[in-house]
Amino acid sequence: MTYLRQIYAILWKDLLLELRTRERIAAMGAFAVLAGLLFNFSIDQTVVRPQDIAAGLIWMTLVFGGLLGIGRTFHLEAQDGAFQGILTSPTPKDAVFIGKITANFVLLYIVALLVVGVFTLFFGLDLGRHPGMVALALALGSLGFVALGTLFSAVSSSTHMGETLLPILVFPLLVPMVIYGVSATGRLLAGRPIAEVAGNLRMLGAFAVLAVGVGSVMFRYVVEE
Amino acid sequence: MPSKKLRLGGSVLAILGVLGILALHWMVFFWTPTEASMGIIQRIFYIHVPSAWVAFFAFGIVALCSAMYLWLGDERLDQAASSAAEGGMVFTTIVLLTGPLWGRIAWGTFWTWEPRLTLTLLLWFIYLGYFLVRSSTENPQRGKRFAAVVGIVGALDIPLIHLSVVWFRSLHPTPVVMKPEGPTLAPAMLATLGVGLLSFTLLFLGVFLQRYTLAVATHLAAVRERRSQT
Repeated sequence: MTYLRQIYAILWKDLLLELRTRERIAAMGAFAVLAGLLFNFSIDQTVVRPQDIAAGLIWMTLVFGGLLGIGRTFHLEAQDGAFQGILTSPTPKDAVFIGKITANFVLLYIVALLVVGVFTLFFGLDLGRHPGMVALALALGSLGFVALGTLFSAVSSSTHMGETLLPILVFPLLVPMVIYGVSATGRLLAGRPIAEVAGNLRMLGAFAVLAVGVGSVMFRYVVEE
Repeated sequence: MPSKKLRLGGSVLAILGVLGILALHWMVFFWTPTEASMGIIQRIFYIHVPSAWVAFFAFGIVALCSAMYLWLGDERLDQAASSAAEGGMVFTTIVLLTGPLWGRIAWGTFWTWEPRLTLTLLLWFIYLGYFLVRSSTENPQRGKRFAAVVGIVGALDIPLIHLSVVWFRSLHPTPVVMKPEGPTLAPAMLATLGVGLLSFTLLFLGVFLQRYTLAVATHLAAVRERRSQT
């Protein structure tokens, strides 16, 4: 039980911090809306129908905007040695990691739903017959993404290249998430039956499980002094 | 001193590898028959495929040594991992250079999202990330640990990346993508490929051992210098 309480303590601390500063969620949210705005002008509607490429745009906005916020996971705590305090506490490192990715997941999932909402509005999308499945695909994708993103954000924030390093480390690893996520979302938006996306959702789930598992094990080697 | 034996072994393997590659070139240019449908360009295959094999083999060494480095913390394991990564990146670059040359003639395009091509490109970027994190920390020990994490996570993600790019490809079939499959190869071609695989592996192992002993020696020299200063 202590393990869960430790996770909860980290999660609550991170969410409270975000609630008070609103830095990352504001940056990610504004990015999502503005990206939707720019995408609107980048599509010539006499050539392509926005709904045909909407799934790709949704996921790319989520990846780019998400990295903006996830990359700053350790930013506030790096000041005044706050993170050193967490590391010297008796909390196991994997509990710290799981608490952190849960907090990041909450933030990113809010942004994901915002992206879908905004794009639905901007491009007149029809969410199809299974909006719940779209939400599930985004949840599984976001989970895998925050796990890898948080792990490598801890890496990149202790290098002198900082956040510029993060995309180079994370993008190659995100390929499965983008491929399965975009195709699941695209098919659901096109009104295809659930049977056609079940495999994709399972692969997204496998990616998320792998990312969370590997991240929990690797995190201690990243933060070790 | 074990490193002296290793260096000698490295030199022998590298020389054998170079001799093998010279023999390979003779076979490629004068001995092996020309492939019927693709013509002369198919001969790049004997360079391309062995390089690809070495590129992925090297990454296996990187991942294995990285995992053991994090576990045991022995400096030599990190030196082995980074030496393998350097060799691996060179051979990955060779694959990415020879692939498009071949593809331009055989497929009519320099680049196509063929799964193995895509995977190799991603492998190149994972190697790039490996070297970037290694060299961009103030504390070198941290850089080594970060690099090991990149190596391990990359190796675990590669099967999933492979599955996904194959699956993605199957959505968009292109006409006439020639794939040189093993069993359909003529015996002379198979022999040439075998010589290629063997000599590229020998060359890689030779260079790897040389690079590894150099890394160990550099480390020892640095330690001694620090000691003599204090």
